[in-house]
Amino acid sequence: MAAGPMDLLQGTLDVLVLRTLAWGPMHGYAVSRWIRQRTDGELEIEDAPLYKALHRLERSGCVSAEWGVSENNRRARYYALTTAGRRQLAAEESAWRRYAAAVFKVLEPA
Amino acid sequence: MTTPRPRRLFKLPWRSARQIRADIEDELRFHIDMRVEALVASGMAPEAAAARALKEFGDVNDARRYIGRMDADTEAARRRSDFMGDLVSDIGYAIRKLRAAPAFTLAVVLTLALGIGANTAIFSVVDSVLLRQPPFPNPDHLVRFKYTQAGQGDAGTPPDLQDYRSQARLFDGFALMNGMQASLARPGADPERILGARVSANWFTLLRARPLLGRFFAPGEDAFGAPNVVVLSEQVWRRSFGADPGIIGKVVTINSAPTQVIGVAPAEQHYPVSAELWMPLSFPPAQLTDAVRGARWLAMLARVKDGVPVAQANAEALHISQIMESRFPEQFRARRVTIVSIHDYTVGDMQKPLAIIMAAVGFVLLIACANVANLMLVRAAARESEFAVRSALGAGRGRLVRQLVTESVILTTIGAALGVLLAAVGMRLLMRLAPAQLTNVGSATLSGGALLLTAAVAVVTGVIFGLLPSVGASSGNVANALRAGGRGTRAQASSSRVKRIIVATEVALAVTLMAGAGLLLRSFGNLMSVEVGFRPQSVLSARLSLPDQRYDSLSAQRLFLETLAARVRAIPGVTSAGLINVMPLDGDDFDLSFTIRGRPAVRPSDEPDAQVRTITPGLFQAMGVPVLRGRDVLPSDRAGAPQVIVVNRAFAKKYFGTDDPLAQNLTLGWSVNGTKMGGDVVGVVGDIRGAELSSEPAPTIYLPMAQSATGGVGIIVRSNVAPASLVPSVRGVVRDLDHLIALFDVKTMQDRMAESVGAQRFYATLVATFAAVALLLSAVGLYGVIAYTVTQRTHEMGVRVALGATGSRISRMVVTEGLTLTVIGAAVGVVCAYFSARVIASLLYGIGSSDPVTFIAAVLSLCVVAALASYLPARRAGAVDPLIAMRGD
Repeated sequence: MAAGPMDLLQGTLDVLVLRTLAWGPMHGYAVSRWIRQRTDGELEIEDAPLYKALHRLERSGCVSAEWGVSENNRRARYYALTTAGRRQLAAEESAWRRYAAAVFKVLEPA
Repeated sequence: MTTPRPRRLFKLPWRSARQIRADIEDELRFHIDMRVEALVASGMAPEAAAARALKEFGDVNDARRYIGRMDADTEAARRRSDFMGDLVSDIGYAIRKLRAAPAFTLAVVLTLALGIGANTAIFSVVDSVLLRQPPFPNPDHLVRFKYTQAGQGDAGTPPDLQDYRSQARLFDGFALMNGMQASLARPGADPERILGARVSANWFTLLRARPLLGRFFAPGEDAFGAPNVVVLSEQVWRRSFGADPGIIGKVVTINSAPTQVIGVAPAEQHYPVSAELWMPLSFPPAQLTDAVRGARWLAMLARVKDGVPVAQANAEALHISQIMESRFPEQFRARRVTIVSIHDYTVGDMQKPLAIIMAAVGFVLLIACANVANLMLVRAAARESEFAVRSALGAGRGRLVRQLVTESVILTTIGAALGVLLAAVGMRLLMRLAPAQLTNVGSATLSGGALLLTAAVAVVTGVIFGLLPSVGASSGNVANALRAGGRGTRAQASSSRVKRIIVATEVALAVTLMAGAGLLLRSFGNLMSVEVGFRPQSVLSARLSLPDQRYDSLSAQRLFLETLAARVRAIPGVTSAGLINVMPLDGDDFDLSFTIRGRPAVRPSDEPDAQVRTITPGLFQAMGVPVLRGRDVLPSDRAGAPQVIVVNRAFAKKYFGTDDPLAQNLTLGWSVNGTKMGGDVVGVVGDIRGAELSSEPAPTIYLPMAQSATGGVGIIVRSNVAPASLVPSVRGVVRDLDHLIALFDVKTMQDRMAESVGAQRFYATLVATFAAVALLLSAVGLYGVIAYTVTQRTHEMGVRVALGATGSRISRMVVTEGLTLTVIGAAVGVVCAYFSARVIASLLYGIGSSDPVTFIAAVLSLCVVAALASYLPARRAGAVDPLIAMRGD
């Protein structure tokens, strides 16, 4: 665990995708690049689970998808956060922060 | 990359499974391409870049499968929510559209409400009266005996019963019944008069009824001299005994005699329905001899064995009665016995009038459906261009059809809901209006089946005719429809022909109904103005019956009646009073055979018979019946004095002809205490009509009560004060004389008259109401079609005006068109009315079934309404501005 990039914790990907889309609508490739850049390669993220997450979130109504035209004039599927998605993000974010804080409390030397 | 073809505005297209797969491939390829491009841009060789991109991506196939599943789910959910959204918007749109056309909406909703409401109400009543079977096991096999010829009395005598019981093989059993008036006395309360029945002990066994409490009669309990026992109905048990659970075994006083209660019959298992208590019917030995076979006064009930066809049992009963006839030809006089189920027996008289009312209802429903169809056609035609525009904007055919169906369903639902309300109210009115013989049969409940059926008919009509035009509107003729701009295409011409035919049919149906209603109303009018033969104003009448036990001797009876008559006469305000054995206008028959002195003797079975009434002095005065010849019955005509007779004019005319009636002497086939009834005819009085006001007065013989006897007693009181105000005094007189005797059936004579025509009034009112509804509905239909034609032909009218036609000429043209339709319809209607009136001929009084005045009145009233209905649109047509009309839309 120490050497290579970390595996993703279950359910973490969804919150990362939602957080990314909070910046604005973007296509799947952009989401992928953005997450990689922000995590500096610390997280080992394949693209397949990322797309699965995007479509899963579309199904649950957290994001909406629409075909648009990309920066290099190609047809691309753009994802945007819906109101339900924003709410979901807020809830998961606070849950994550509390979780992380609790873990840190244990890890910090007393 | 193709851009998606927009199928509808403002909505995401639905994606097929193939499209979903294609979209996924596009999306994934885009990702890989972008990644490869970026890697190549950073200096990587294309092959290496592709391999790297795929490695970074991970399991493509797994992702493809997973995403495919997700997207299919997403798509299905979207379709569902789209459908709901469409429905909501359809409904909203439909409601806006309907509110924008209030006249159309109101017309359709009212039409439906009237049609559904009237139909359901009537059908519910008919259903519970005519179609509901009696509440006994295998009710078809429960039969009453009657004679094939009407007016021949009831079928049973005690010796007959014995014959049937000993000879029949196909019956479970036979029982006799005699109606009784029971006076139920309880301490501290006025005696209560209850309608009951004396029945053979096996009565309830034949019915296969189960007691609610206690038991029914045991074999032998109807033997002569057996202890008095009674079975109470649940109603009496609840009403008069507070549902006392310990009632069984208690002793009550019925007709002055202590009687033990042995059982309570459940409310829903009564026979006869009007009876509220039952006592055993027993006969003294003298009643069991063959001598009484001629006196047929008992009803006979029997149960045909399970599995035996009723027709076969009927043949056996007929055979047995023929054996009796061959043995006692005098008493039987060619009477043919027949058996009918108790259900048919009860509803027999009402079947025809109710069937006619059902037919009237059917007509109204037909007219209502025709109206709905017409209104829908007219409306859809008026909206042709709207549909064309929507279709051009991308609304699919299915979507338009859905829109129309939504509108039809909303309309018909509102109409049906109002109809249910109307049905509930109508049924209550109907039951209140209904004659007693109808309500006795049982209380009607709203029939769910009838409601469903009529509502379904109306709704289906609405939807079908709502859809018809959409087939044309959405069949790709968009360009044509838009170009025509509602100015008449060939399809419209044919649909307007359909509309005309529908309207003409409506008019025909309405004329038929109007003519029928007119006949019934005029017949009712004739009945009301019929000369009844007495003056019913200011007359009070009431009945009582003398309990056999305490008035078993003739002298005791006569003393009581004499005192009663004298005391009633002494009440202040009473101008005259008298007693009679059978209440005038009552249905009870009391007819006896007689011989006239000096005429050649005939076989006993060929002797003439006449109605016989026993009366006290003062009766004719109280009734207002004139003495035409000779004298009235006098107080001196008492027991022991020479026997006298008064006859009515009909009797004198029929049997004496031109002979002097006052020189005649009659002998009746009736003995009282061994004395043959009869005597010299001393007077002739005016005729009075019987229960059937429409029947000619029957030949009648009046005997002095003091020289004969009476079963029931009717009190007739004429006063110079309001008759109803005398009720307490009359009650007081009876109570003072005998506190165990109940006075009942207390009514003014005018109320009695109103009741006797209750059935006719009921039928006439109903049919008249239907006719009015039909008239109204056809007016609406006619108006709709004429108004539509005017709208369609605005352009043509404009041309005509431009070419010099005046507005009034155009108006005339439109009205003429409406009237032409009406006249064609009316002509057909008159033919229909002529034939359907024959069916109601037997219900008419004093008017022929093809009475020309009524027919002409029906046609004229329809023409007037039609002229009015076409005048409104005609005025609009006359005011057309040629410039606007020709400029078009």
